[in-house]
Amino acid sequence: MSLLHMSFYSAFALSSLGLAFHRTHLISALLCLESMMLAMYMSLSSWPIENQAASFTLMPVFMLTFSACEAGTGLAMLVASTRTHGSDHLHNLNILQC
Amino acid sequence: MAYFVLFLGLCFVLGGLAVASNPSPYYGVIGLVVGSVVGCGWLLSLGVSFVSLVLFMVYLGGMLVVFVYSVSLAADPFPEAWGDRRVLMYVVGFLLVFVVGVVVGGIVECWKFEVVTVDGGGMFSVRLDFSGVAMFYSSGAGMFLVAGWGLLLTLFVVLELVRGLSRGAIRAV
Repeated sequence: MSLLHMSFYSAFALSSLGLAFHRTHLISALLCLESMMLAMYMSLSSWPIENQAASFTLMPVFMLTFSACEAGTGLAMLVASTRTHGSDHLHNLNILQC
Repeated sequence: MAYFVLFLGLCFVLGGLAVASNPSPYYGVIGLVVGSVVGCGWLLSLGVSFVSLVLFMVYLGGMLVVFVYSVSLAADPFPEAWGDRRVLMYVVGFLLVFVVGVVVGGIVECWKFEVVTVDGGGMFSVRLDFSGVAMFYSSGAGMFLVAGWGLLLTLFVVLELVRGLSRGAIRAV
């Protein structure tokens, strides 16, 4: 794997580690998710560049479409949780706790 | 020129690190902006300018703008940046993970110090990515319709999620 591929993979891995760890705000987790989507976009667009196959250029654009859908849904859930819980602090989301 | 591309790749990793190290969301968005600008520069230096501009406009100009004003819901009285001790511990930890990964990968011969760049590949008037994405309208029309339907569905999903208990009134938050 070349050095650039490794930079995308490590950016993706670091962002997913950031998503997995505990944090205060829900929107920090959404930002890590967006960073993962960015690393995936770059990785997907390196495929048509290296193989010189034009039709694979559709893949990153298609992925970006659905990543926009997911970002919008995540932000709507952020707004909904702020309305019901007063803030987006993750330790407030504990109504399922015994 | 190859070293510039490698520098952009390093800045991409640093942008991902800046987001993952859990600062206050006001500062986390900066890492995402830096990462996407550098990613666009990388795609430009490889010659696929259309894909790079799509990233700029849709990701940076659409999604990140929405994120930036949604961050106002996550107000901290004292926002933490990368100089504060808690965030600094995260940064050091993630840097350690990254460096250990790079070193172990180098020992196991997982990566090579090379830059794979191909630009164009001929004297064509239509570039690689322009002709590729134009297939959305010809052979990939079904994908195009599915993507449009998914976006329309997401609109209704978002409207239902933020409808709130009072069934339709627009509230202050």
